[in-house]
Amino acid sequence: MRIAVQESLLPRTARKPEQAIVFSVAGQDFAIAAESVQEIRSADSLASTAIELDCVTLPKVRHTVERGHHTYYVVNAGVHFSLPVSRPTLVLIMRQLRVAVLVDRIERMGEISGVYALPRAFAGDERQWYRGLAYLDDHVIPVVRPGGFLTAEEFHLLDRASRSSAAAQEVEGAIPS
Amino acid sequence: MSGAVETRTDSAAQASTESFVLLHVGEERYALTARIVAELAPPVRLHSFPHTSSLVSGVIVRRGHIVPVYDAGPVLAGKSFSAHRFYLIARRAFGKSLELSAIPVNGECELATGEVSPARMDRPPCVCGTLQIGDESVDVLDFEKLVTSQPIERRDAGAAKVQP
Repeated sequence: MRIAVQESLLPRTARKPEQAIVFSVAGQDFAIAAESVQEIRSADSLASTAIELDCVTLPKVRHTVERGHHTYYVVNAGVHFSLPVSRPTLVLIMRQLRVAVLVDRIERMGEISGVYALPRAFAGDERQWYRGLAYLDDHVIPVVRPGGFLTAEEFHLLDRASRSSAAAQEVEGAIPS
Repeated sequence: MSGAVETRTDSAAQASTESFVLLHVGEERYALTARIVAELAPPVRLHSFPHTSSLVSGVIVRRGHIVPVYDAGPVLAGKSFSAHRFYLIARRAFGKSLELSAIPVNGECELATGEVSPARMDRPPCVCGTLQIGDESVDVLDFEKLVTSQPIERRDAGAAKVQP
């Protein structure tokens, strides 16, 4: 057994560099592949187009937003990752997914040297949440899996809640005041 | 009652004499077979992020690897020990492959060779034997059972919780 000196850099062996967006939620940094994000907007700018959604079984989604004739479910990343309450100011609108993600702020955009496999010691929900880990500026941060914000079952649940909500609004509109 | 101490007969405790790394968790000393120990790493930064895996407190970067850190304190003593800043790095088997894993320790690790007898029945499941070193009896840990055990205070509760 030996005690060796600290090292800080991981070798770059056979890992593909990629462009990433590093965002933070409640002081915790996460990375996401830049190519999976279609648009970043301020939460305020989308507030006027946001529609409230009543889905009590899924508290991480409370709104939908319309962008380019598509409806996106807005996932509060803090609730999704069970982080302390924070003040999200930005929305990441995902590409090819009906998901938009509320985050606190963007820390940086740039290249990460690669994505390292999540150690198998991590055996819970995080295997769905993360593609792996990245080493960036002496920090290890999780690389988010865009498809991990909502499962197929959760999409079903939200679609149903969304239809009920729309039907209720139609009924309300039909009743003369 | 015969008066003899009841013992378990785990296969891990059958080996008669082998080398063990002695480590402290809280006030207690434990032994871990030296066969699976890779090194004692100096204090390095613990990186943590949200997850739901019990006992995993984060990861450290060591020799080009991202190594998960298991906090053994809650299993063995019911609490974490912030004074533990060194990391004992061991190999954990996942099927046929091995993954490096770390346990925070206080740095006072020793190597010892001795006779192992089966664990007493009153010891936790993660204890697979008793190592006799002079007058001292030291619990021998089964690493796999240790890192898959429930913390003492949550053994009855069971629910997964997001950490950190």
